[in-house]
Amino acid sequence: MSAARPQDLACRELVEILTDFLDGALDERTRTQVEQHLVLCPGCTEYLRQFRATIGSARKLAEEDLPPRVRENLLDVFRHWRHGS
Amino acid sequence: MRAWKFLDSGRVAPFGGHVWPAPSAGAPGEWLRFPAQEIFACRSADLPWWIGPELWEIELEAPVRGLETQLAAPGGRLIRRVVDWDAAALRAYGVACAERARALAVDALTRDGRAEEAAALTRARSMLELSRVARGFAGDARERQSSNLAGYLAESSMRASEAAAAAAANIAANAAVAAVKDPTAFDHERQWQAQWISERAGLTPVPVAAM
Repeated sequence: MSAARPQDLACRELVEILTDFLDGALDERTRTQVEQHLVLCPGCTEYLRQFRATIGSARKLAEEDLPPRVRENLLDVFRHWRHGS
Repeated sequence: MRAWKFLDSGRVAPFGGHVWPAPSAGAPGEWLRFPAQEIFACRSADLPWWIGPELWEIELEAPVRGLETQLAAPGGRLIRRVVDWDAAALRAYGVACAERARALAVDALTRDGRAEEAAALTRARSMLELSRVARGFAGDARERQSSNLAGYLAESSMRASEAAAAAAANIAANAAVAAVKDPTAFDHERQWQAQWISERAGLTPVPVAAM
């Protein structure tokens, strides 16, 4: 049986499943396809690096790091979003 | 069991981002294990799938599972770095793979009665020049096989010129498929690539009998 071809997975598809990849939630074949794609694709490798850096930065944030005004603005946006307006 | 593992510069795992413990004073590095996650490594035949800047010999903890293009184990530790696999070897690998695509394109152009174009490909000295020349012959790729192969060659040699060896090799393997219209040619090309890596890096066979 031939191995999965890295080109079976497009960059757009990789972006869609990257969170699952980082969470270890992909099945073995899909995870392998993601990794084989990353070996070949500098763009997606850089995307993964930035994604990891963002997660790392977000983990360091505490609720009190958010200025009160920004916090209130965000809550306001969420309130309107939940009400569909 | 022993196997091979590509890492990014500084012993960094290319997908996990962690740094592998280094061997020191002739002793292997510390064992690395993760909860709910395996360690992956290569048999010799798997090497072309996972090309990277550093190549290490690794010891895998039993039980080892053999997958399509890699081995999986509950733990692993680095034994030694393969010093003959360096930036020059990585670049040379990409060029060697693109040269295989050049041979296929030259043959196809010659068969199609495009002798002058075949000669132009043969004359190209650098990978960048080869890519530019080949791109000029790939215009009607849907019409003629020789143009299709010139297109593959343009891409493979461009990647080789950028030292993107893994991509150059993958495109060359696809060129092999296009040349004979047989999907099994991909695996045959990968076997050639694995042999090239083993010879260039001076890899001694590692036991794979259990696989």
